[in-house]
Amino acid sequence: MDPSEKDQRTDHHIITNDEKINENGEVNEAINLKDSPGRQKLRSWLNRRLWIKMTDGRILIGSFLCTDRDANIILGLCAEYLSDNLDLEARTLGLVMVPGRHIVSIHLDV
Amino acid sequence: MAETSHDQELSELCDEKPTSLQESSESWVNVTSEFFEAISELELGELLHDELFGLFEAMSAIEMMDPKMDAGMLCNRGNNKHYTFHQAALSGVIKLSNFTAAEIIGIIDSTYACIVSWLEGHNLAQTVFTNLYLHDPNPIEDRTLKMFCVTVHKIIEEIKECIIRASVYEEEDFQSVMYGGYKLQSDITEQKTIAMMREIEEDLHKKTRVKPSVDEMDDEYNDNLALYARIRFTKMFYQVLTMMGRKEQLPTNLQACQRILSNCSEMLQLMIKTINRGDKADEITDHPNVMGFDPMINQRQLPPTLPRYTKIRPRIEALVYMDDLINRFKNVTKITSYTNFHSALDFFMEFSRSSPCILSRSLLQIVYLPTPNRVFGVQNLTDVLKEAARNFIAPPVLMPKNNLLQNHQAKDCIDNFLVHCANFFSTLLQISGHNRARQRDRIAYLFENFAALQDEAERVDSYMHSLSLKSDCPRPHLACFGTWILYHTLRAMVMYLLSGFELELYSVHEYHYIFWYLYEFLYGWLVSAITRADSFIMEQDLHNEAQKSKSGKKSSKSKKRKTLPRPYYLEILMNQALQNICGGFYKALVGFQIDEKIPLPESQFDCEGVRYEHRLYPFSSLITPPPVNYKKFIEMTHHLRYRNNEKLTSEPQYLEGCRHFHQAKTVLERALELNPPQNIVNEINDLMKVVKTNFVVLKLLAGGHKKDSKEPPIFDFSSHQHFPIIKLP
Repeated sequence: MDPSEKDQRTDHHIITNDEKINENGEVNEAINLKDSPGRQKLRSWLNRRLWIKMTDGRILIGSFLCTDRDANIILGLCAEYLSDNLDLEARTLGLVMVPGRHIVSIHLDV
Repeated sequence: MAETSHDQELSELCDEKPTSLQESSESWVNVTSEFFEAISELELGELLHDELFGLFEAMSAIEMMDPKMDAGMLCNRGNNKHYTFHQAALSGVIKLSNFTAAEIIGIIDSTYACIVSWLEGHNLAQTVFTNLYLHDPNPIEDRTLKMFCVTVHKIIEEIKECIIRASVYEEEDFQSVMYGGYKLQSDITEQKTIAMMREIEEDLHKKTRVKPSVDEMDDEYNDNLALYARIRFTKMFYQVLTMMGRKEQLPTNLQACQRILSNCSEMLQLMIKTINRGDKADEITDHPNVMGFDPMINQRQLPPTLPRYTKIRPRIEALVYMDDLINRFKNVTKITSYTNFHSALDFFMEFSRSSPCILSRSLLQIVYLPTPNRVFGVQNLTDVLKEAARNFIAPPVLMPKNNLLQNHQAKDCIDNFLVHCANFFSTLLQISGHNRARQRDRIAYLFENFAALQDEAERVDSYMHSLSLKSDCPRPHLACFGTWILYHTLRAMVMYLLSGFELELYSVHEYHYIFWYLYEFLYGWLVSAITRADSFIMEQDLHNEAQKSKSGKKSSKSKKRKTLPRPYYLEILMNQALQNICGGFYKALVGFQIDEKIPLPESQFDCEGVRYEHRLYPFSSLITPPPVNYKKFIEMTHHLRYRNNEKLTSEPQYLEGCRHFHQAKTVLERALELNPPQNIVNEINDLMKVVKTNFVVLKLLAGGHKKDSKEPPIFDFSSHQHFPIIKLP
């Protein structure tokens, strides 16, 4: 992590300190800890479409819903393709969790 | 609710953006390293998600790369080139003509293995339709294989229809959905199919006529024989299914079936003998290994939440299964000789006891009631029930020469009652067609209907009673229909409690009140209901005689009848024996409790009262017999354990138990002397073994054997599904 990023982080501490409460009535921890730039970035990607290549070569495309420290990713409305060539029929999977250790690459739809 | 709104939101979100990468290939940006960097800032266990996304939703996600959940994973293993039927045929991966006999035999046997696996609860796409030849039989040039495939389509259609019609299946029994959009051949009619199969069969038969003169082991001869047996069996199996499934002329069809079924068995024996003629028959694999089968062909067509891995039965096991299936069919056809409703009901219950497969269970249903309320399609269920009630307890109103029914109101009343009975009893028959675990579930819900029917029966009785007393020959009519319905209620209650043993639902420390309830109430009530019916019948006989003598026809016949044994003697004896057996168990269990031989749950987590009420909860909707609550149970059983607040010893309990088992033995012996039918003889022999052993064990215990040992006794259900043999470790 370079020093400029660290600066950003301290800046960030000052800017956001509002507390949000999630649907369960618990204080949202992530926000309580004051969003770091990484969190901010991830948060900005939420609900956007991700293209994930898995270790066995399959491609999963779905909406990014959730992740954790081990890069386990939950995708909503997910479709599975057998290869990069998306001409082949997709298989609809719905909600899936991709374990981080099986992820080869991640693309973001911009 | 949150989930659906969330989904909607997501789908809206996705609609905005192109779904295919092709259209938007430029817009994807690689964020792999950025992503992995970003997540490293997260804490252990911290989840980053939208406010609308909760852990609840996360739970239902399919985990990728988990072999149990991820069906797509298997597709990518090894050779991932999957040919469709036409691709395979074009590229020469599968033949369409010039098959060797071994190849066809292999394909046929493997197809049966798939059918059997389907019947055991797997879905069609992962079993039968992994056979590429079945995807489109028309281009197959080999006549034998083509017609076999066409007939398999017909067979599957017939089986599906029959199971769905009987509707005694649950998801664990049968998968009716077909994934992959296959169509079953329907352009060839039943007659044509059978005629064409017969033609092939005859050709093969001719070839087998030329017996090899010198060498018995002639290969060609054996191949032809093997093929002949398979084609003939397939044809007959299809015939049997169509005949048993037909709604018209059922009794004659069933007679024809019995003959065809015994031919089926013969052919199956031949098939089993020649199983090694098939290609690669000696290899053991999880899935057919012969040409034309691809276990993965439909994998990508399956919905994401399906059981993943389907292991197909080995060919030999499948053929043995088919042989058992044919035997079950033979058993089903025997139902035609049970014209009396009570014996038919017993037949249904007896049939279910061996946990038969879904297909035979369904067939029994549709054979007995091919159309609602028409027994064998020829007799009204209401008439059959009227006959059953008449035979059971001879209600005066149903007897010939009774003029109560000339009263319109009385007739309407009886007719209505019988219609309600018909609805109720057809439900009962249907329940007995379900698998054993589901039966218990459904019976629990049935008690409310029992209560309503009992109530109606009693009202009909008292109405008939009041009419009867006003008529020319007044006869009491109380508790006729009431007893009849009560009898069935009690039997269902006994069945419900006993099924808990069979399904291994009860813990040992619960046994005592289950046996207590059976011993103290249910069997006692049952015996008294049957006894009442018995005396009603005798009374009716006397009445008939009196009538006859009045009309001056003193026949010797009526005198002979008197010497006949009481009609319910055997049933009374059996129930008395069972009552004693339950009593024996109950006393033994109290003894064990006094000796602290039965481990109890940790007292802070346990409440016997709650457990008791839960076990007997379904009975609470009944009025007769009145449900006995836990408080009553404690009141009634306290004296066995304590007297004047002093703890009693276990010996008297064991001795009591001994006495019960001894009594049961005597009663069973008496029952055996009545020459009961074979199935009851078997039942008596099974019970006898339990009774004799337990008698000895309790005798030892009463003598102080292993008195100080706290080792819990073992209850061994291997001799009887409901009544265990007690063993002391």
